Amino acid sequence: MTPTLYTHVLDAECYKVRLLAALLGLPLDCVAVDSYPGEETRSEAFLALAPAGTLPVLEAGGLVLCGAPAILTWLAATGDVTEGWMPQDPAPRAQMQMWLGFSQRLSATAGAARLEAMFDMPAPEGALAAAEACLRELELHLAIRAVDDGAWLVGDHPCIADIACFADVALCPDAGLLHDEFPFLRHWLYRLRALPGFLPMPGIHPLHELRAG
Amino acid sequence: MTTFPVALAHDLPPGRVQRAFAGGRDLVLWRSASGRAMAWDNRCPHRGMRLSHGFVRGERLACLYHGWQYGTEAACAHIPAHPDLAPPATIRAAAYDLAEAGGVIWVADEGYADPPDMPLAVMPLRSLTFRCDLATLAWACGLEPAPLLFLPEHPSLVIAPNPLGPDRTEAHVLTAPLHAADRIAAIHQTEALRRLAEEAAG
Repeated sequence: MTPTLYTHVLDAECYKVRLLAALLGLPLDCVAVDSYPGEETRSEAFLALAPAGTLPVLEAGGLVLCGAPAILTWLAATGDVTEGWMPQDPAPRAQMQMWLGFSQRLSATAGAARLEAMFDMPAPEGALAAAEACLRELELHLAIRAVDDGAWLVGDHPCIADIACFADVALCPDAGLLHDEFPFLRHWLYRLRALPGFLPMPGIHPLHELRAG
Repeated sequence: MTTFPVALAHDLPPGRVQRAFAGGRDLVLWRSASGRAMAWDNRCPHRGMRLSHGFVRGERLACLYHGWQYGTEAACAHIPAHPDLAPPATIRAAAYDLAEAGGVIWVADEGYADPPDMPLAVMPLRSLTFRCDLATLAWACGLEPAPLLFLPEHPSLVIAPNPLGPDRTEAHVLTAPLHAADRIAAIHQTEALRRLAEEAAG
């Protein structure tokens, strides 16, 4: 049975779910929720489904999951036959969890700054500076990973934490935070965009370079 | 006429495009499929779109906006809306001289690029941006501003600094050939230098 995803086309959290599903080749029934500007996430019907009033929400059979980290975990656990997207060994598994936690810091800073820039939703004080500190932290991690030719956050395969971090990093130019001074971030973004089945969204282009001239 | 270090060469693989800055100029930096690097004004002569948003097709750079393509000589080579038209030779991107030396891409804001003599055995480490001016970056290294900063306390590290303004300086960092653990230590040293410089800059 195809899961239902309640989603908004410009929402970075929803995009994470749609991107992983696309990369795994998993079908989703997408239901557009007018969270902005319609505030449909404040409607009684939506709040009955997701009391926090936030997207994304995934419904599969009787299961209801709220928030990108939980949904990414479930999609990888149920739909990834290669098991590459969610490492099973304790150390990489815990590292993946660490970067999933980091993705929520990105979302609370870079993501919030973007929502303020695009939709006038007030961001917490200092969100932009905190977002920049997050980008520096991720850049440092990827610089160190590159010393041993590591291309992804953990191990030798992209994991769901790469997806969870990718969206806010790729979209942060919407908030005026550019990628120019972060070469390792740029290479990592490029590698993700080059994955077979990659799904773009407004603000994240596909790789034109890969098409036949 | 000045020559500026704008990027580490290994950060610009064939087929890639990025933004760069040289002496106040906003540039598109790109490398063709065959490996030729170029630096042009970051502005499409057609509608002014930043060419750094564009994409490389073989030996040409295409603007993201209307797909106008420019060859390695900076002349417009193809206009998709007029596929049968040979574009007039006057439609050109403004190109700057570029040299690759010691693993660094150098661009002259006018005339010819004249990079400083680079050590022979250097490996690219990383490029990072300091939120301070060049003098403060050099001070954090224990040095006066210079085209190449050989760090007295970290003899394997050399920085090619690119001043972008009073509060922004790029540091293109190279090292002697090092083992992995020492490369990681060198990366942490660049972070510590940046913290020191930025704290001093307030």
